[in-house]
Amino acid sequence: MLAGGVAAGVFGSLLGLGGGILIVPLLTIGFGLPLREAVGVSLICVIVTSGAAAAVYLERRVANLRLGMTLELFTAIGALVGGLVAFLVSERVLAALFSAMLVYVAVSMIRGRDLEPDDDIAAGSMSSQPFGLTLDGPGYAVHGLGRGVVGSIGAGVVSALLGIGGGLIKVPVMHLLMGVPLRVATATSNLMIGVTASASAIIYLVRGGIDPFVAGPTAIGVFLGATLGSRTAHRIELRVLRLLFVAVLSWTAFEMIRRALTTA
Amino acid sequence: MTGSAPVDIERSVARLLTVGTYASIALLAAGVIAMVVAGRSPLDPAPRFDPARIPGDLAALRPEGFLWLGIVLVVATPSARVATSLVGYFRRGDRAMAVVSVLILAVIGLSVVAATWSGA
Repeated sequence: MLAGGVAAGVFGSLLGLGGGILIVPLLTIGFGLPLREAVGVSLICVIVTSGAAAAVYLERRVANLRLGMTLELFTAIGALVGGLVAFLVSERVLAALFSAMLVYVAVSMIRGRDLEPDDDIAAGSMSSQPFGLTLDGPGYAVHGLGRGVVGSIGAGVVSALLGIGGGLIKVPVMHLLMGVPLRVATATSNLMIGVTASASAIIYLVRGGIDPFVAGPTAIGVFLGATLGSRTAHRIELRVLRLLFVAVLSWTAFEMIRRALTTA
Repeated sequence: MTGSAPVDIERSVARLLTVGTYASIALLAAGVIAMVVAGRSPLDPAPRFDPARIPGDLAALRPEGFLWLGIVLVVATPSARVATSLVGYFRRGDRAMAVVSVLILAVIGLSVVAATWSGA
């Protein structure tokens, strides 16, 4: 359980995923936990991942705090809604829909080379945002806030239902639709995951959906892995990071399809 | 940025996240050690969350006391991070981001209310 948590923490931190994508299969398939308990434990783990990695990314000025907080307002709303309907949705239907979404995101990331936003940013250019919000970062302008809001709400709902950080949606939304460089999008996603997951973790905690005996060793493993991942992320090339992201998306899609087909 | 005041919000938030994460991990680690000492397996039936029992469990050095307190701290750290940002943006005079911070805290507060209501 501890070793699995370490592996999930490394991947979660490097890819802005929060590690839940690996923790839920680990706990359900590896240890036979009910899916709902696995989701509850996973939410705790992704908050730990977020805290450990985001602190490092903020110190290094990689994460965009203003953008992250603006979008996490909407991920938190999505997570609140998702946490409340988590007990009403058929896991089979959800798994199938989720798999389709993962495949779509993976294809978008592969084809996203033409959309690389870093090249078409004029030096010093500033985008216009509503309500006096300035979300641009050094060397890039943020646009498409409306699309970011919609994507963030969706990320929050998915996070609450499946126990993942929602980075699977947030990173592509920020990178492909809002013009945020991939490394910044990944770091900002790590920051946002904490609030997203905590909004639904509260619901799981109060409703008895978190097992402390499982959460303890798993979260410690994730913490160790996330610390390692965040300290090595800057040494990894963007191309490698993108390939890793697509590989994880594809594996998760396969896993979710398999689960949808085998669940009675 | 809308102000020139030298309020380094990013650094304050990073420190808070570091302290919150390390403190919660320390509590969880203490709980895991207590589990080992007590011969409890991670797959043993776990007690349901009851905040009122945490002080007693801690005093008796029961693993669930440390684990539940660690979990509560994990869940509370993101809210504390938003509260820290709120103070920073307020001091900087950044009204838009201060409002965003307040709204995030309101949504998290709504989660507590909704969880209590739906779990009753």
